[in-house]
Amino acid sequence: MKPRLMLLLTPFAVCAALLSLGANRDKPATKQGETAVVPFTLLPSNHMVVEAKLNGKGPYRFIFDLGAPVTLLSNRAADASGAIDKKAPKSFLMGTRGEGKVAKVEMGDLVATDLPVIVMDHPAIKALSGFLSKPLDGIIGYTFWAHYRTTIDYKDLKMTFSPVDFEVTDLMKSLPTQLSGPKVAKTIVLAPRALWGLILSEPEGGVSSPGIPIKTVLAGSPSEIAGLKPGDILTSLDGRWTTSIPDTYSAAEKVELGKTVPVVILRDGKEMTIVVTPREGI
Amino acid sequence: MTTRGIVPIGLALCLAALAPDDPKKAKAPDVGTAYQVPYRLTLTNHYLVRVKINGKGPFNFLVDTGAPYLFVATEAAKKIGLEPAPKGEYWSKIDRLDLEGGATLKGLNGRVEDPFQLVGMNALGLPGASIDGILGFTILARFKMEFDPTKDRMTWTRLDFEPEDPFIPRNAEARQDPGVQAMSALGPIMKFASVFIGKQPEDVLHTQGLLGIELDDTMKVVAVLPDSPAATAGVQPGDRVTKIKDKSIAARKGAHDAIAKIRPGDRVALTLTRDGKAVEMTLTAAEGL
Repeated sequence: MKPRLMLLLTPFAVCAALLSLGANRDKPATKQGETAVVPFTLLPSNHMVVEAKLNGKGPYRFIFDLGAPVTLLSNRAADASGAIDKKAPKSFLMGTRGEGKVAKVEMGDLVATDLPVIVMDHPAIKALSGFLSKPLDGIIGYTFWAHYRTTIDYKDLKMTFSPVDFEVTDLMKSLPTQLSGPKVAKTIVLAPRALWGLILSEPEGGVSSPGIPIKTVLAGSPSEIAGLKPGDILTSLDGRWTTSIPDTYSAAEKVELGKTVPVVILRDGKEMTIVVTPREGI
Repeated sequence: MTTRGIVPIGLALCLAALAPDDPKKAKAPDVGTAYQVPYRLTLTNHYLVRVKINGKGPFNFLVDTGAPYLFVATEAAKKIGLEPAPKGEYWSKIDRLDLEGGATLKGLNGRVEDPFQLVGMNALGLPGASIDGILGFTILARFKMEFDPTKDRMTWTRLDFEPEDPFIPRNAEARQDPGVQAMSALGPIMKFASVFIGKQPEDVLHTQGLLGIELDDTMKVVAVLPDSPAATAGVQPGDRVTKIKDKSIAARKGAHDAIAKIRPGDRVALTLTRDGKAVEMTLTAAEGL
């Protein structure tokens, strides 16, 4: 950039900085227990779009994507908002600049802080922007919304966010380890916390199998008391499908001790729901 | 390379389309019903839920607001006899889609295709489970979705809203922009790369063995299930369990931890207190829960 142009732009930059300071003072970050409402619009391609201010700059338009494991930010918005070091070199691949951080993100009622972003000009975003003739500046993904209890209502075109305490794994850090780590299958023993008194048979019928046949119900066990019988086909346990033996154990593993849960079975082809209270035991 | 391939799942899948105005559909019978949908988070931070298609499955599907509609991977489609769209058409008709947690949708259009993201992720075995398809907008928009990362189920409440299928240009070339086509090439590249990097193996699952002892808080035997290994070995109600596999047990969490790794057929040494005396016995864990 030529010095003269720099000089011209400086007052604007100062004004913008002051404005953003003001914005930063106005709204504190959304806290636990609060619910923030964020409106969104739908593109003709059915993608959700939200408008967000980054460090007081913008608003910029983002695709809100439940399928994206990270948050992507365009070079344009990253530079304007100071989300990345201006000197960070651009890779020839999609202009990737690496990881940055946005100190403050404002979206509807929501104020978020320290959002990690990957700065790059993604071809899909570029293509979509071109198609819409309105710029899009990134994708908001898991690293953002995993900090909230989120609701999405497509009918009212509104999302809500309530902060929760949850440690978000950073894919960018864990992925290289996963890829370079040993390729050994993890062995997991599925261990239900309570005694049911059931012995199961392997399912029949492959992908058409409705569930797991019960081979034996131990006398005096919680399952016998509840009324389960050998030959019953277990189709779900506490709202989880039981389509394989590990499935069934894994569903039982998630049942808290002392809780009474519904078990859905097929008996003589008829669907029945039976409630079982598994008991403490080994 | 890897990052690019998996970042914008679904986003690149559809760049076209205005929904045409179709005649009104009848209101779904379950409007207002809240379903508790179990999910798992993959190693790559993707949400997977399980579905059955035309009563068959289950299959792992990605929950993806960045995808425009329902994708069924070709391999999964083959397993259940779902044919790809006939020539000149785009959609495969799906009679019934069941979601784990209880919701059922009927009479849907789906696309039998392998989006490049799935090809890549499955080739590397990245997500820790195979992915058989994608639930996109035309499925998700029928629900008010609530997800809380601290809970192991999402809540999907059926809305009185039937989204239309997006308009798909007839011309296959018009469907894809050069940028997206470049992205599409990443699937096969990742598949190729997996030869060198190595596929991540899926977890091996075993089930815990059963002894057949009901315990109270103080580790006293409340009951012994008839025909269980405990009954065969002679454990009696009133005995107190003091050691499992030579480890002292004071509380029931300890008992569970001690038994958590025991598989059917494993020998388990137990020490009990009966009438003030220590009794030792060895049980063979049975199959069951």
